[in-house]
Amino acid sequence: MSAPILVAIVGGTILTVGPLGTIEKGTVLIRDGKIAAVGRDVQVPAGGTVIDATGRFVMPGIIDAHSHTAVEEGVNECTESVTAEVRVADVIDHHDVAIYRELAGGVTTVNVLHGSCNTIGGQNAVLKLRWGKGPEELLFKEAPRGIKFALGENVKRSNFRAPGPPRYPATRMGVEVVLREHFREAQAYQREWEEYEKKLKAAKGPLVAPRKNLRLEVLKDVLEGKVQVHAHCYRADEILMLIRVADEFGFKVRTFQHVLEGYKVASEIARHGAGASTFSDWWAYKMEAYDAIPYNAAIMAAHGVKVSMNSDSDELARRLYWEAAKAMKYGGVSEAEALRMVTINPAWQLGVENRVGSLEIGKDADVAIFSQHPFAPDTRVETTLVDGVVYFDRARDLAARTASPAQAGGSR
Amino acid sequence: MRALGAALVALLPVAAGAADVVAIRGGRIVTVSGPVIEKGTVVIAGGKIAAVGPSVEVPAGATVIDATGRTVYPGLIDGLTTLGLTEIGSVPGSVDTTETGDVNPHAEAWIAVNPHSELLPVARANGITAALAAPAGGLVSGQSALLRLAGTTPEELTVKTPVAMHMVYPTGRPAFDFARVFEEPELKTFEERQKERQRTQEKDLKRLGHLLEEAKAYGAALAAARAGKIAAPRVDLPMEALAPVARGEVPVVMRVDAEEDIRSAVKFAEEHGLRLIVAGGLEAWRVADLLKQKDVAVLVNVDRLPRRESDPYDAAYANAAALHRAGVRFAIVSDDASQSRNLPYEAAMARAYGLPPEAALRAITLSPAEIFGVADRMGAIAPGRNADLFVATGDIMDHRTSVTRVLIGGQEQSLDTRHTRLYEEFKKRP
Repeated sequence: MSAPILVAIVGGTILTVGPLGTIEKGTVLIRDGKIAAVGRDVQVPAGGTVIDATGRFVMPGIIDAHSHTAVEEGVNECTESVTAEVRVADVIDHHDVAIYRELAGGVTTVNVLHGSCNTIGGQNAVLKLRWGKGPEELLFKEAPRGIKFALGENVKRSNFRAPGPPRYPATRMGVEVVLREHFREAQAYQREWEEYEKKLKAAKGPLVAPRKNLRLEVLKDVLEGKVQVHAHCYRADEILMLIRVADEFGFKVRTFQHVLEGYKVASEIARHGAGASTFSDWWAYKMEAYDAIPYNAAIMAAHGVKVSMNSDSDELARRLYWEAAKAMKYGGVSEAEALRMVTINPAWQLGVENRVGSLEIGKDADVAIFSQHPFAPDTRVETTLVDGVVYFDRARDLAARTASPAQAGGSR
Repeated sequence: MRALGAALVALLPVAAGAADVVAIRGGRIVTVSGPVIEKGTVVIAGGKIAAVGPSVEVPAGATVIDATGRTVYPGLIDGLTTLGLTEIGSVPGSVDTTETGDVNPHAEAWIAVNPHSELLPVARANGITAALAAPAGGLVSGQSALLRLAGTTPEELTVKTPVAMHMVYPTGRPAFDFARVFEEPELKTFEERQKERQRTQEKDLKRLGHLLEEAKAYGAALAAARAGKIAAPRVDLPMEALAPVARGEVPVVMRVDAEEDIRSAVKFAEEHGLRLIVAGGLEAWRVADLLKQKDVAVLVNVDRLPRRESDPYDAAYANAAALHRAGVRFAIVSDDASQSRNLPYEAAMARAYGLPPEAALRAITLSPAEIFGVADRMGAIAPGRNADLFVATGDIMDHRTSVTRVLIGGQEQSLDTRHTRLYEEFKKRP
């Protein structure tokens, strides 16, 4: 047996986002990519790597519950209103430099979603940003399967004209029909298979299996709770519509994405048990974003909804720590709650809260080390680790620039 | 700008009565033009700053604002926006940024500014008291105006117009067109594309050059006609608007990002005698020395991705710091409308990546005022300047800080917005 790989992050202020709260001058001990100890009086065994975080702030790696990183030009299968069969995991571009840039913003896990082009889009891929590894190794294998739904203007194609004949739906009425129609079909498909399996058990004569339908297969899995629904939405009425449809067919929406009018129906979202993954303060870029308010996160959180701040952007993803801070300004959420909005809450939304999202013993050692408190105006990310491996280090990055004059620039 | 000058003069209070004397007392005063006063008083009279200092007397009868434990800042100036010209991005009926055709020097932003836009109070509530409203798109987009974010008519809002003629530097690359996203691209080699781009760029630049030469001639003809030497030339509003730009009297704000394009824009401006201001300037850090040498100012927005894959990850964040080190004049801008309220956070990101905090604050106050030629009136807390200022609970570049009072021209402004109204309405809903 080979010796364990040990990494100790020492001397920093640790924002655990777990039961231990904030630990001054603490140590995070990592063994073979997992957190082995967190606390003030942790013995650092000899033979490991020591990262000195004196004067710095150590927090769980940031999680972005709405990303389109590493799938440029593979985001949207727009050709039909239902494309449940397509998978983002099949088109991951592991060379996308956005992965590295996001690590430099402290991000370690992203939920790469299909676009919002159609009512029922493709299946998502949750990635760990193991920069330099191949597409298979980027996949967060333990993350439950998920699918993108979308409601409202993008699905209705309100703001652009695509070539070819018009595509159904063009109204929010039609969006509901598309959902109901396809889940009715999925129910029929489910019954067909159940009957076949029943007969198979009874083993009466030669049997012909029903024909596999890749699309309905996924919707059947949604009905059976095996695939989590991440639903892009804006207006309060369409949020309620999807809750009604989900109730009718007996599935749960795991997250409402963007959910900019979520504050108008926060208790309904809470009762359904869904999380809310929102923008901190985007508004007015389209009609359905005109009632968006920066207090959205605070109101939903006050109703007990697990809220996260997402990016939907390779650029914004790099400063999600500040997006979280805005929840303190708008609606006065506590610092602890604001931190949860980019760590444990999105982890819960993606079903990986037992693996990431807080610095606790046994969890993956996904860590972001900041020069100052992550909410402070001069702060920046110094080092980011995934599974205990340093994938971004600012000092190393700066040294590489000096070594290669063509890349000089940036800050000195 | 026709009758607007007179209208603005009429707005200024004739004499300061006790009623419009305001004193902001006990706060930490960040003057920007001078040192920070740890605990001091600002006295406002007649809409202007009358006095500021650690031991300034509060005049009898003055309205007193207690700023103990708070910080007082000059109002922030967002040096590139479409505020007032756009309401809902995707709703054409609410957007007045871009006129038909691509040469619109006679389009004036202040004309179309909607003083009742919901976006204005939202920006103001986070300390933005003035903004450059600029037309966008085409080759020559039109004239910008500097607005104060208070008032109910375009005349009341407009501080200065024109501030600059806005242009989009021709790169030869086809403009992004959402309607064409779905089209199958033509199959062409890289070389073919390069050649095509160069041809288009040369053609556009030649066209812009001709426009400027024509405008110069038109201006000369107008002057000669005024002097009675020749008959008046045929009315040509675009040429009339472009003439002062061609003479170098009105600056040109040129939207340009790439290193090679900035270089050729600088050369083009020099050849045609233009007073150039770069907008965007994503790769300005690569040509900082040239910009310094040619005294070209930059309106830079910080929160952007680097232009090239091989660039340092923080190239855009550190852009402002590089300009600062080289001594280039620059302002940090939102280059947006609904996101204008986040201007101080763009400055914060520049700070995190090397820009000294004082320079970051200057880049959203006094520096844009200087670039737009209004530094005698705006951008700092100093006697004689407009009383545009705000009180905050702490560092305005800290996301956790709240703005508690905003004054424009000495008048206290409401901090109610579409957002606070909806918040109040729905936070009570069970």
